[in-house]
Parts: sequence; structure tokens; C-alpha cells
Amino acid sequence: MSERLYPGFGRDERTTFSPYGAFEVPADLRELYGRYDVESMARRVRNFRYAEEWTMMILGGWIATIPEVPVKTGLGKIVWDCAQSADAFGKRLPELRCGRKAVEASEPANDGFAKLVSALSEPETPDLTVEKIAGVFDVLKPHLLAVYERTMRETDQITDAPTIELLEDAVRRTRKHIAWGDEVLERLCDTDGKRERRRRRVASLRAQLEACGGVTGTLADELGRSH
Amino acid sequence: MKRFIQHEELARDSRFTRQTTALSTLIAQLPDDVNAVVALFEKFDPIIEKSTRGTQAEPLYEAYGPGFGLMTNTQSLKPGDPATETRIKLRMHGIYVGELQALEGAGRSLWDFPDAPWEFKMNMARQCWDETRHVQIYEKLLEHVGATPGMFPESTFLFECACSDDPALRVAGVNRGLEGLACDVFRDMIRYAEEIGDDKMKQAIDYVLADELTHVRFGSDWVREFCKNDPERLQRANEFRKQVDKQFNFGGARSEKKDSAIPIAFDDRREAGFTEDELKELVGLCGEGPSRETMREAARILRERHQAKRAAQTAGAKS
Repeated sequence: MSERLYPGFGRDERTTFSPYGAFEVPADLRELYGRYDVESMARRVRNFRYAEEWTMMILGGWIATIPEVPVKTGLGKIVWDCAQSADAFGKRLPELRCGRKAVEASEPANDGFAKLVSALSEPETPDLTVEKIAGVFDVLKPHLLAVYERTMRETDQITDAPTIELLEDAVRRTRKHIAWGDEVLERLCDTDGKRERRRRRVASLRAQLEACGGVTGTLADELGRSH
Repeated sequence: MKRFIQHEELARDSRFTRQTTALSTLIAQLPDDVNAVVALFEKFDPIIEKSTRGTQAEPLYEAYGPGFGLMTNTQSLKPGDPATETRIKLRMHGIYVGELQALEGAGRSLWDFPDAPWEFKMNMARQCWDETRHVQIYEKLLEHVGATPGMFPESTFLFECACSDDPALRVAGVNRGLEGLACDVFRDMIRYAEEIGDDKMKQAIDYVLADELTHVRFGSDWVREFCKNDPERLQRANEFRKQVDKQFNFGGARSEKKDSAIPIAFDDRREAGFTEDELKELVGLCGEGPSRETMREAARILRERHQAKRAAQTAGAKS
């Protein structure tokens, strides 16, 4: 009689294969339970999508109003990167019980963040490249990077792994954007006057960002808990 | 930041000078009449002269007069022809600034239509990256042919005539009209690169052409989607595209004839989704307005009159 390949109901119907824990080699040290439940993660993902979608739209609008050709072309690529991040966040939403139509659901955490995005988009004329780039690349993107990384650390590493994976992509892109923006601003701000413009723009937007609680509206709470 | 900007608001660095777009609009409306073309160019002569000052077009203006641009548009690129070096630089520069405006147009589509469907935004964002690469590619190709950005005046005609405030019309004009034109121009450039054995130029433009087919498809899909259940809007979109096609015939330079300055790239256009009816319509549109022969004759007259004027000015200065 051939050896059983599948266990049956009775004792003598068991197979001879020894049990093997899939996570034993190597040892899985991850523990269940993260800071965010399905509902709160869905809310965060909608907030992230809002930030990426509006950044994409603002940068797209600015391309025509910025005279420096390498800045125009640099933004052209970043527009596509932000679109991909927003798209990935949108596709995650139906997986977080938000319904099939949720792929286009962007939502600001609060009115304050929506006003911050509006303030970011304000500079319009060709002489304001410093203000445009400083707002997005000195303030918004470093904030997004910090929140994405914190979210990746604090969410459940097993149950919410799909969110972590798409955040990894967003983080990789955002890091590149910040480095690019810094290089552009270093070149553009070649006088004390321009460096002062950059500093003032950053200070004003950062204050607004902190006041509204950032992309998720919970900045103070999160920072407090992290510390 | 406001929505819907005018072509005069496109930002450029100090290398660039602007050329009037009114001339291009008026040429497309002219009858096939040499005197009418000559009269129009003479009317715009002072503006044309001003826009060439300080650029590499200045010596061309001095040699050919206000119709200097016609020498690029009415002649095909022929290896060995002494004028080809200037023509390729002029054409390459025209494409470079066209790509810049296409990048700006795709970017503005994201900002101008915030409530558009997400897939539309994804397509426009992708187009931003593609046009970015095209700007970078043509900047390299400009260098490759001994030219530089800003060496000739820039016409912002592309942005002006295509950027409608209705997204259906905008994609019809930009993605179907202008990107279709790009298919014609790039196929001709590839032909020229093959003839002179320039593999670098051939390969680079071949990749750009592949992108353009994708952009035409974006246009075809979105005209259909935006105009779904709205035949009146569809008609407006088609009329707008035809108007753009007509404005970019460059005075008979583009036609179905193989020896034309810019032959219609039928195969590429079919692959991009243009229907046989649309192609027939394009051939018909190319036959409207001043013919290539009319433009050539006008260019000759303008040159002769310009040289006579300069000779008279020199004689006057001596006496």
C-alpha cells in the first residue's frame, strides 16, 4: 500500500510528513498588532493619496511658469512619480474595505491641510521658482517622507504588509525628489537675498503644516508618542 | 495659481526670444495666392525682423528677408544640399521648443482640469514625463547638429492653438492634431537620418515617435470618453482638431506626396488609431490654403524685394 500524501480524519490516516512551521526558519520575530486598524489605515492612505495627487497637479501647473529648463524637465519626471504613488495608494483602498470605487478617493485630513496645499500652490509668476520649489521640496516632501517611514514602522508588519510595500516605493521616490529639490535650491539661491527668501518660505509653511497636524492631521500626537 | 494661462505667459530663460504667432494663424486662412502671401509677410516684416535680432536667424533674415522661414517649411531635407544644414537646425529647434510647449501643455492639463477622471490625469502625468524626455533628447540632438536652445526665435503657436479650456478639445487638438503632426515630422526625420547614416539621430527619434503614437492613442481614447453621449461636443472636438491640422500644414509643406517637405506618415497614423476617413480628410485639408509652389514663389519675391530694399538703404547711406 502506498504512503498517504494527504491526512484523513482518523488517527491511522495521518501522513508521515513531520510538521513544519513556515516561519521557523529563519525565526519570525514579528509580532501581530500595529498602531493602525483597517479603518484608520484606510484614512491615512486616502490622506497620502490627497497629498500625492495635489502635488502632481501643482507641479504640473508650474512647469509652464518656471523659466529654468532643467527645473521644468526635473518636475516633468516628478509629476509622473507622484502620479504613480497616488495611483498605488488608490488601488490599496478597495483592499482596505473602502469599496471598489475608492481608487479615486483622495481626502485631506482636515481643512488646515487643504489650506496648506492651497498655500503651496500660490506662487505663480516666473520670478518665484525659489518659493515654488522650497514649499514642496523643503517642507511638504520631507514631511511626507517622515510620515511614510513612521507609518511603515508602526503598522502591523504582517497583516498590513501590502501598505508597507507601496510605501517603500513612495519613500524611494520621495527621497530622490528631496535630494533633487535641495540641489536645485542650492543652485538657485546664490545670494543672501534668495537664501532668505527660501528660509522665510520654509518657516511660514512649516508653521502652517504643524498647526494643521500634517498630512494625517495627527502630527503632534504621533510625534509625542514616537518620542 | 490661476487656471488657464495664455501662451504669452509661458516662462523662458534669457536665451529665448519670442516670434509672433499671428502670422501662422493668418497663413492658414489665406487663399492660394502669391500676392496675398507676399503682402502678409511684408505687413509683418518689422515684427519678424525684430524677433530675429540677436539670434542665429538674423543672418537668415538678412539673406532671405521676412520669408526666411519658408525656406525650411517648403523644402525637404536632402543630403548634400548646402541649405540642409540650416534647415535641419531650424527644424530641430522648432521641434525642441514644440516639445517644451507639449510638456507645459500636458502639465497644465493636470492643473486646469482638477475634476477630470483619474485615468486622464495618469495619462497626462505620463505624458509630462515623456515630453520631458523629448526635451532632453532634442537638446542633445540640437547639440548633435551644431545648434543650441534659443538660437532661433520661438513661436508659441503650438501652445496657443491647442490649449482649449475644454479637455475634449484640448486632447483633440494636442494629442490627435499636434501629436499626429509629430508622427509626420519624425518619420521624415528618421528617413533623413537613414539617408545620411546617422544612427544616433535615427534611434533617438524612433523612440520619440513610439511615444507619440501612445500620445495619439491617449487623445483618441479621451475624445471618445469625454464626448460619450454628446455628439455636439464630439463634432466640436473634431472641428477643433481639423482647425489645428489646417494651421500646421505650413503652407502646403505637409501632404500625401512622397516628395513633399513633410509627407504624411500614413502607416504610423494608422497604428496610432487614425481611421481611413480621418486620413482622407487630412489629405483634403493639406490641399487647402497656399500650395508649396505658391509659398516658394512668395519666398523668392520676398527675398528679391528684401535685397533690393537693403541695396537702396546702402546706396542712401553712402550718398
